[in-house]
Amino acid sequence: MPKVKRSKKPPPEGWELIEPTLEELEAKMREAETDPHEGKRKVEALWPIFKIHHQRSRYIFDLFYKRKAISRELYDYCLKEHIADSSLIAKWKKQGYENLCCLRCIQTRDTNFGTNCICRVPKAKMEEGKIVECVHCGCRGCSG
Amino acid sequence: MALSKSSNTYGRTSWEDSEFPILCPTCLGDNPYVRMMKEKFGSECKICVRPFTTFRWCPGARMRFKKTEICQTCAKLKNVCQTCLLDLEYGLPIQVRDQALNIKDNIAKSDVNKEYFIQNAEKQLSATDHGVPGAAGGPGKSHPPSDLLMKLARTAPYYRRNLPHICSFWVKGECKRGEECPYRHEKPTDPDDPLADQNIKDRYYGTNDPVAEKLMRRAATLPRLDAPEDKSITTLYVGNIGEKMLEKELRDHFYQYGEIRSITIVSRQQCAFVTYVTRSAAELAAEGTFNKLIIQNRRLVIRWGKSQGKQNIPGTTNTEAGARFEPVPGLPRALPHPEELEHNFFNLAPTTSAFPSPYPQFAPPSYPLMAPPPPNPTPNQPELPGFLAEGQSGIHYPSQDPTRLGAINKTRQT
Repeated sequence: MPKVKRSKKPPPEGWELIEPTLEELEAKMREAETDPHEGKRKVEALWPIFKIHHQRSRYIFDLFYKRKAISRELYDYCLKEHIADSSLIAKWKKQGYENLCCLRCIQTRDTNFGTNCICRVPKAKMEEGKIVECVHCGCRGCSG
Repeated sequence: MALSKSSNTYGRTSWEDSEFPILCPTCLGDNPYVRMMKEKFGSECKICVRPFTTFRWCPGARMRFKKTEICQTCAKLKNVCQTCLLDLEYGLPIQVRDQALNIKDNIAKSDVNKEYFIQNAEKQLSATDHGVPGAAGGPGKSHPPSDLLMKLARTAPYYRRNLPHICSFWVKGECKRGEECPYRHEKPTDPDDPLADQNIKDRYYGTNDPVAEKLMRRAATLPRLDAPEDKSITTLYVGNIGEKMLEKELRDHFYQYGEIRSITIVSRQQCAFVTYVTRSAAELAAEGTFNKLIIQNRRLVIRWGKSQGKQNIPGTTNTEAGARFEPVPGLPRALPHPEELEHNFFNLAPTTSAFPSPYPQFAPPSYPLMAPPPPNPTPNQPELPGFLAEGQSGIHYPSQDPTRLGAINKTRQT
């Protein structure tokens, strides 16, 4: 969520419809930002941030592509204002990445053996009953 | 910034830069396609505190990541795994191995001494074929395999050693990760248990290593076969022989320890008695076969025979003077009985009358050595190899039987 409004133009039509939800998500993000880190593991600290970021992008993405509830202008406006993450949405359009949790989880250069994150492994391919939480964003599996 | 590992190479020549770790099969894990991470000069050796190249890998599913802990020089000096510090050949602690093989090494432990020692050892290692352990007094292949080590050693890799550590939060009752926790949610071992207090230096130098002590204690309680006090017992009990065991199979195996006086098979009780000619052979056989002998896929039970008074073992005689034995071939005797030379048991020509003397047991077969001979021994009685009635002499072993190689026993023909 942008701290400052970048454009002087008033938001396109339909903004009032999505504004309350976005406000709510922003409040949640604020809370996550100020949450104390005590009792959390090092890697856990950023998990809620990634989660709310994902939720917000998902909200805009669903409204435009799935429910067709908002106009093209409003969608473009949201991307331009960085309310939704355009690169994450770009991945969601690809096959196999429909539910991708975050961009760090597919960044193969960050791993020792040039692999994706454990949450990118399909449930069927994982050994039975194994529960994983990826270290990047706490995702429990975002691939089928 | 000039002190980073990649830019500063001053004094780096002596640092170890290896391509592959020295590891035991257990530490490597069951995955043949294991991937490892290598870090040049990644940490200091826990023994000699010099930088070395560390390797890190996951030894299989649901196991913890392992890494090399000591440098390859230190590992080669003791012929141990770089990670678990157990012997590469037997998988046993150094203390146990050194006690069993009687190895005494004087690896320096103080700072300067250690540096000097390691420097010399490295020189020696590089002078010999590099990668061959045991250059500096360590155990090489030259040592004979030790019975004790073979018994104590595991036969298969022990992968439980690679399990994750116990979750310390769970022990305190405050692990919030639940199912996702990669650590083990198990009750920890008793802190009073000596095994709970191990450290890497003690393991390496082989001094008060609790694991080694446990193993040595176990070794002391291993079933042993104590030779009986009675020196006249030369009989071994062989149990669990099954119903189809042939005497030949037993003889084939037991003959390697010494001359056999007799073998009796009691097929009803599925056991056999092997009587040796000498006590030392029996002791040798007991040592060589106890808990080890497997014939026809059966593990045979070896015990010492009971004392002569209780067991009637063919080939031995009981007289009022105590246990008496048949004359044993090759052993010196007091004096030949004069009659012995006169009796011609084989109907041989008189010129060869001295012939029986190397085979004194062909002497009158029906009386013990010291007893006076019966007035009229029956020389024409055919000699039956194998089992005779008590007190009767037989052929001790096949080589004594003159008919065996085709000699014609004239007594039988006449």
